[in-house]
Amino acid sequence: MGNAVAIIGTGQTRHGRRTDLCYPDLVREAVTAALDDAGITLEDIDGVVLGTMPSMMEGVSSTHFYFAEAMGSLGKPVLKVETCGSTGQSIGHCGFFWVASGMADIVLVVGSEKMSEGDGQATMTTVFDPFFQRTFAAGAPGVFTMQSMEWMYRFGIPEEKGREAAALISVSNHDNAMDNPHAHIRMRVTMDDVKNARVITYPVRLLDVCPASDGACAVVFASRKAARKIGRKPAWIRGLGFRGEEFFYGESDKAVWMSATEAAGEAYRQAGIRDPLKELDVAEIYNPFTYQEMIFYECFGFCPRGEAPDYVLKGTFRKGGELPCDPSGGTLCTNPIGATGLIRLAEAALQVTGKAGERQVEGAKLALSHAMGGVDQFNGVTIVGSTL
Amino acid sequence: MQRVAITHVAQSSGAESRESLMDFTYRVNREVLDKAGLQREDVGCIIAGSADIFHSGLSCANAFDWDGIGAFLKEGSRAEESAFSFIYGCMRILSGRYDTVLVTALVKGSENPDNDPITSFYGDPFYLRPTGINESVVAAMQMRQYMERYSVTEEQCAQVAVKNLGNALFNPCADRKRRVSIEDVMSSERIYDPLKALECAPKSDGVVAVLLASEKRAKKLTKKPVWLAGYGCSMDHFHPGDRDLLKGRLPEAAKRAYGMAGIAYPRKELDVAEVCEPYAFQELLWCEQLGFCGEGKGGKWIDSGASRMDGVLPVNPSGGVLATNPYPARGLYRIAEAALQIKGEAGEHQVGKTVRKALAHSTHGFGGQCQSVVILSA
Amino acid sequence: MAKEEHRIVKGQVTVPYELALGRTWSAFYDFLKDERIMGKKCGKCSRVLVPPRSFCPRCYVDMDEWVEVSQEGVLETWVYVNMPFFAQEIRIPFISAQIRLDGSDSGFIHQVAGIDLNDFDRVRETVKLGGRVRAVWNPEKRGNILDIAYFEPVD
Repeated sequence: MGNAVAIIGTGQTRHGRRTDLCYPDLVREAVTAALDDAGITLEDIDGVVLGTMPSMMEGVSSTHFYFAEAMGSLGKPVLKVETCGSTGQSIGHCGFFWVASGMADIVLVVGSEKMSEGDGQATMTTVFDPFFQRTFAAGAPGVFTMQSMEWMYRFGIPEEKGREAAALISVSNHDNAMDNPHAHIRMRVTMDDVKNARVITYPVRLLDVCPASDGACAVVFASRKAARKIGRKPAWIRGLGFRGEEFFYGESDKAVWMSATEAAGEAYRQAGIRDPLKELDVAEIYNPFTYQEMIFYECFGFCPRGEAPDYVLKGTFRKGGELPCDPSGGTLCTNPIGATGLIRLAEAALQVTGKAGERQVEGAKLALSHAMGGVDQFNGVTIVGSTL
Repeated sequence: MQRVAITHVAQSSGAESRESLMDFTYRVNREVLDKAGLQREDVGCIIAGSADIFHSGLSCANAFDWDGIGAFLKEGSRAEESAFSFIYGCMRILSGRYDTVLVTALVKGSENPDNDPITSFYGDPFYLRPTGINESVVAAMQMRQYMERYSVTEEQCAQVAVKNLGNALFNPCADRKRRVSIEDVMSSERIYDPLKALECAPKSDGVVAVLLASEKRAKKLTKKPVWLAGYGCSMDHFHPGDRDLLKGRLPEAAKRAYGMAGIAYPRKELDVAEVCEPYAFQELLWCEQLGFCGEGKGGKWIDSGASRMDGVLPVNPSGGVLATNPYPARGLYRIAEAALQIKGEAGEHQVGKTVRKALAHSTHGFGGQCQSVVILSA
Repeated sequence: MAKEEHRIVKGQVTVPYELALGRTWSAFYDFLKDERIMGKKCGKCSRVLVPPRSFCPRCYVDMDEWVEVSQEGVLETWVYVNMPFFAQEIRIPFISAQIRLDGSDSGFIHQVAGIDLNDFDRVRETVKLGGRVRAVWNPEKRGNILDIAYFEPVD
C-alpha cells in the first residue's frame, strides 16, 4: 500500500488571544517549533502545505501568499488545501500523500487561525447556502444543538443523563487542559459550574462550547528514508479516511452520522483495527461541543449507539480510563479552527512518541486523531502508531 | 515508480451560465464520467479546485461543491487553486492507493465582483491593501518595467491579445470571442496604464473536470492516455517590493518540471504550450522564463510568429486566459487543453503538427507570485 | 515606546454577489407563490428531496420528476436561538427546526413560530421532538424561503 510516511516533528504556538503578534508571526512561531522538534532547517523541506479557514474568517484571501515567508515556502512548491473545520486533517492527509507519492521526501504542513480577528459565527453562517438555509442559521451552536437533540431523542437518552455526561466531558477536558502548556482555556471547572453556566442554545451552555482561539500548528512529514536519516523517533501514519455528506443540512441522518462512521471505518481498515476501544491507546477527537463528542464515540465504534453517556459516566474516556480521549484538553479548551484538526494529529503523534509531557498517556502506541467540518458535513480521521 | 495519466476531460463554456453553481458543476462532472463510462461509485477519490467566499459568496467552498462533484461519502478534498488540485490528484494516484481520481474546478465569475476588488484581498490590511493594490495594479507596474528594461514595445504586448483572441474564435468553450486588430487593442481603454482593457483577462464562468488514472487503469479506460511527465511549483515573496517583478519564480518552477520530464531544450522538445496570461504582456515574460526565448526577447518572439497556431511552438491555441478566465479554475483549463492537444481532440483549435509533449502553466497572485508548470506527454 | 501596547486595525468589508438559482430552484419558489411545496423524486433511489435538486447527490443522475409534498410534517429536531449573530435575518428569540414533511425523504430546515417564544419553559412544553408541525404562509410572496412564514405546532 504505497510508501511509508512518518511524522518526525510537531510545533504549536501558545494558543489563546494573541494580540501580541500579527498573523504571519503566529504562523512562524509554530513552524519554528516544528523544525526544532524535527531537528531540521527550512533547507530540508521539499514542499509546504497550508490550510486555514476561508477569507471571510481571515480578512485576507489566499493566505498562502500572506504567510509565504512565515511558513518557510519561499522558492518552494506549495499546496493550499481547505475543507472548513476539517482543514487540519485534510492538510495532514495532503502532507501524507505528497510524501507517499514519491514527489517529496519532507513536507511541512501548517494550519493556523486567528479567531480573535474575524467573526467565526458570521463565517459559519456563510457556509450555509444563501437560497434556503442561511436564513435560519445560528452559527455552529445552532447546528450542533439540533444534532445533539436529534441524537438523544433517537436513542431515548434522558435529558438529565445527557446533561450529566456532557458536564463530565467538560470537567475532564478542562482538567486535561491544565496539563497542556499550549492550551487556551486553562481553568478547572466543576459539574455545577457547567450545569449552571449561561445557556447558549438550550441545552448547550457556555462550558459545553469551545472558545475562539488564536493559534497555529506545524507538522513535519517524512519518507521512511528521510525519517531514518534524521533519526528522530517517528510517529507512523497507519490509516486515514475522509468522508463528506450532502451539503444541505437535514438530508442525511446526523444522529448516526455516516461521514464520521465511514471516515473512521476507512482508517481502521487501513490500520487493521477491529476493536477500536481495545486496540487504540488514546484518541484526540475534535470536540467543540460536549454533547457532540458523545456522537463521535459512537460513530468511531468506541461504544454501541446510544450508549455513549453510560460509557462517559463510567469514566471510560477520562484520564486513566480504558480509552483516554483528548488528554490535551481538546478542541473544547483550544480552537483555532484552521489549526485544530492538525493539533489533534500533532497531539496523537506526541502521544505515540512519548513526547506528550504531563499529558502523556502511559505507553501509548496507537492513537486516533480527528476533525469535523462544514455544517456537520465532513469528517477526517488519521491514525498514527509508534510502529509501522 | 507509478505513472499517472489523464484519461478524459470535460469542460464548460466560459460564457455566463444561468444554472446554479451546483447544477453547473454536476453537468460537467457527469459528462466526464459518461465519457469514461464510469459511475461516481467507480471513482476512488475526488479533488475539487475552488476558491472560497470572495469567488462564490460561500465560505468553505468544498461544502457547497460536494454534491455537484459527486463526492457523497467518497474520499475527497479541495485545494484553493486548480493546478494545486491537479497535482494533489496526481499524488493520490502516485501513492499507489487509488486507481482513479476525479479532479475538477469550478467557479461562476459572473456572480461575484470583478477580479480587481477580489484580488486586492491578497494584500494585508495594514500595508498593501490601503495602497489600492490588486493583481492588475501590480501587472501594470510589471509591464512598465518589462518594456523599459528590455525595450519591448506596447504594440508587441498588444500582439498577444490579437493572437489569443484570434485563436479563441476556434474554441467553442471560449468566453471572449471577438476578432480584434492591433489598433483595437491599442485604442481600448487604458484602465491601468500601460495596460489596456483588451490586454486584461475577462471574468468568466467555468467548470472543468479531468479524470486521472493509474497506468494499468488508464490503458483500460482509453486508447490515448496523456501522461504526467513533469511538475514544478515555486512561491515568491509576499510583498511585491521584496522582489524584482521581472525575475520571479517561474524559471525555478520550470526547471523542476523540465528536470522531472527530462527536457533539456523546451523550445524544441515541446509541441504546444498553454500559458496562464491574465495580462497580454505576461505571455511574453512567461515564455522567456519558460525558456522558449532568451531573456528580454519576448517582443522578438511574438514578432517571429513562433507562438502562433502554425508556429514552431504554438502558445495558447485555446485563446488562453485572455479569452477565458474562470479564475480559480483557469489552471486546470490549461491542463485540460494541453491534454486535448495531445489526444488530438482539440477540434478546430487543434494545432497542425503532431503533439507529443505539451506544457501547461498556471499562476495566481500579484505578478506571478505563485507559479506552477505541468508537462504532459503522449 | 514607553509601554508595550498591542495595536489593532479595525475594518469591515462588504462584497456584493448575484447568485443564480437555476431552473429547479427558481421553479421551487414559483410553486411557493401558489402555496405548494414541491420536491423532486429520484428515478433511481426513489427518494423525494425538499428543497428539490436537479440531480440526486447520492445516485448522481438527473432528477426529473416533480412531486408535491405535504405542508405538514414531523419535527426531527429544533434549536431555540436566543443569541444574536452577525447578519442574522430573523429577530431573536427564534426556533430553527428540521422538519420531515410527509411524503419527503429529507429534513427541511425552517423555523417554528406562532407561539409565544419569549417564555422558554412554555416553548419546551409546546415544541416537541417527534411532534407535528404545519406550514403557515406569508400572505405576501417575495420569492424566498420566508414565503412560508413559519411552521406552527399542530395540536
